[in-house]
Amino acid sequence: MRKETKIFLLLSGVAFLSFKSITGPELFSVPTNFPRPTYHFDSNPLSRAGVELGKTLFYDSIISSDNTVSCGSCHQQSAGFTQHGHVLSHGVNDQLTKRNSMPLFNLAWSGSFGWDGGVHDLDFFAVSPITNPVEMNESLANVLEKLRSSPQYPALFKSAFGTEEINTERFLKALSQFMLTMVSANSRYDHYMRYEGIEFTKTELEGMELFKKKCASCHSGELFTDFSFRNNGLTHLTENDFGQFEVNQNENDKFKFKVPSLRNLSYTAPYMHDGRFTTLEEVLEHYDSKVEKTDFLDKALNKDGRLGIALTPDEKQKIMVFLKTLDDEDFVKNPIFSEGSLLNPILAKNINDDLMNFKITDKTQRELLNQCVESYLKIKSAIQANKSKVAGNEAKKLMKVLAKMNIQEVSQKEFFRKYQDKLFFDAEHIFEGEQSTDHQLDHFKDLSDHLYILIASFKAYEQTLYFNQCQESAMDWLSDIPTDLFVVKNCKEIQTKILTK
Amino acid sequence: MKKIIFILLCAVSLANAQKTGSISIHFDHVIGNEPLVLNDKKYKNADGDEFKVSLFQYFISNIRLIRKDGSTYVMPQDQSYFLIRESNKGSKTITLANIPKGKFTAISFLIGIDSARNASEIGQRKGCLDVAGEAKDMYWAWNSGYIFVKMEGTSIQSTAKNNIFMYHIGLFGGIGNKKTLNNIRYATIDFGGETLRVKDNKFVPVITIKTDASRLLNGDTNVEIAKNPTVMGGPFSAKIAENYKTMFSFAGLDKLTTDIDKNRKALGMN
Repeated sequence: MRKETKIFLLLSGVAFLSFKSITGPELFSVPTNFPRPTYHFDSNPLSRAGVELGKTLFYDSIISSDNTVSCGSCHQQSAGFTQHGHVLSHGVNDQLTKRNSMPLFNLAWSGSFGWDGGVHDLDFFAVSPITNPVEMNESLANVLEKLRSSPQYPALFKSAFGTEEINTERFLKALSQFMLTMVSANSRYDHYMRYEGIEFTKTELEGMELFKKKCASCHSGELFTDFSFRNNGLTHLTENDFGQFEVNQNENDKFKFKVPSLRNLSYTAPYMHDGRFTTLEEVLEHYDSKVEKTDFLDKALNKDGRLGIALTPDEKQKIMVFLKTLDDEDFVKNPIFSEGSLLNPILAKNINDDLMNFKITDKTQRELLNQCVESYLKIKSAIQANKSKVAGNEAKKLMKVLAKMNIQEVSQKEFFRKYQDKLFFDAEHIFEGEQSTDHQLDHFKDLSDHLYILIASFKAYEQTLYFNQCQESAMDWLSDIPTDLFVVKNCKEIQTKILTK
Repeated sequence: MKKIIFILLCAVSLANAQKTGSISIHFDHVIGNEPLVLNDKKYKNADGDEFKVSLFQYFISNIRLIRKDGSTYVMPQDQSYFLIRESNKGSKTITLANIPKGKFTAISFLIGIDSARNASEIGQRKGCLDVAGEAKDMYWAWNSGYIFVKMEGTSIQSTAKNNIFMYHIGLFGGIGNKKTLNNIRYATIDFGGETLRVKDNKFVPVITIKTDASRLLNGDTNVEIAKNPTVMGGPFSAKIAENYKTMFSFAGLDKLTTDIDKNRKALGMN
């Protein structure tokens, strides 16, 4: 046993050293329990400035058509770089995609990207969400143009690549550089495997043994995926998403989706390509008893005349305990991956640029708009008190009020309608997110911004209101009291705009 | 000493320069026997469907020149990618430089982009291969790969919205875990007994190649626009690729001077 360990450490030491020379150990190193990465580091060596540029691009909504959606919008660190509570991710103009955004970590070990594996190289992946009409709906050429004329990017490209030139290759490589640094390998499991002073409990050990027997044929190795595409017998699959078939048109690959890693499951709910399961219990129940027999079902799930994988309640329980050891809190909390760690904060769009000088003359409409403010303040208190259900109910009331509103003046109608729709969408998501304060918070900033724009443009407030912005926490909120920190902590500076009656 | 080396280098490059020449290829786009006119002209396919073309463009790459004895000159791959667009006159005449002196009787090229370049890293995709630049409408982002041949237009027979039809043909066979159709096709164009002489850079021979866009629709499979108004990644794309591999034909060989303007005039390109 001792001897084996030594050899293992020696070998991984060699792998580590050979990489050190390419990328620098601080930016990317291969965890000793991991295999060799597959990414082509030789053609895109990481540099501190390159990673910094990539991180800035990742968090900047400048890459979407209306400057509202960034990579970070649908890939949030605290959710293992997927999106809190969202079954399907959504893009500009509040359009929904057909899939659940994938978590982002350990990408250097992946040879294909996306649920259908349509992209073979990490460098090219970003082109897909940027140009997808229901995601960022932007052309790559225009992104580059916007970056060239921005006050901050030419200098960032110069530090990363030597000159101020901004081109396709540099843009995509910088994004990859940041994403490659997102290595998640500090879970309890990793510490246990690397003999770093962690011992597993009896249940965890039993869970691991069961996992190896029942799950590891697909979720194999230290990455917990064999990177294959399989049909796992989900019911009610629809013709709007054929999975891998859409890429290769091979009948045998209908409804096959990527086998995802099982690391960080506690943060990445909901599960499956369409986000249909909200809990791991549902996932295990699916494999035990709900696998549907179709022509395309993976053979591993139809063995010896039994569909799925037989799991007793006790076994499920133990597997769940083991899966928790794959959570890497270090990774989801590590400040180096956060927007807050950027050396140069992204220049925020000034929301006041969107304000108009309008007036509501209709008394009923004015009252309704004030009811919206009342509802909003109740939603805010509920979210602050972590009462997601109450916030959901209030959001429903807000939707009802919004539905009644109607501005007739031709010059103002279109503007009003636009923000009315946006508010309705935000409220709808806070209503639907009644299980999760996190999900509600994702939409609360937009709700605040859109309501602020509407009431400030129409000057329709019956009381003094304070519009607060904290860039570090990426949170905006309206308040009826002058000093209100809402849920924001450690904000260096809160900018407040006062709307006096 | 330094001086001697300098002279020596010059002499070598001069000798090289004399051993090579340039040629031009002009692509003449037609529909059957008629010139291709975007948007305004109505055509008929073999199935009898009426159609107008709003866009026609394609990649050619991996160019080879074939000598009488069957031996070939293979152009350096990096210099052999061209995107030909009906909407861009300049793109329809390409110049190949540094061709070794000699007599050639045929040319061959790949219609589209080879699988290696479809899978290559971003640093090798400059110029017409830039997915944010020239190739932006010839690249599939979600199923990473280049579109080889693209034709769009309208047809009263089309069952798609606004009577449009769209044929975007790509797919290079896939890479790694991803296996797809392979719609890469090659064209070899014989100069019909004429000889292309590459002598020097003073006279640039111009090969005119006729590209018949109707061959997407007519051939081994006559396309019914009503049944297949949009073809992209599906299996039917292979039928269209099989059709269009015959769309190139030899239409003439001229010897022109290096005066580009004169050449353009002579080719009726002004």
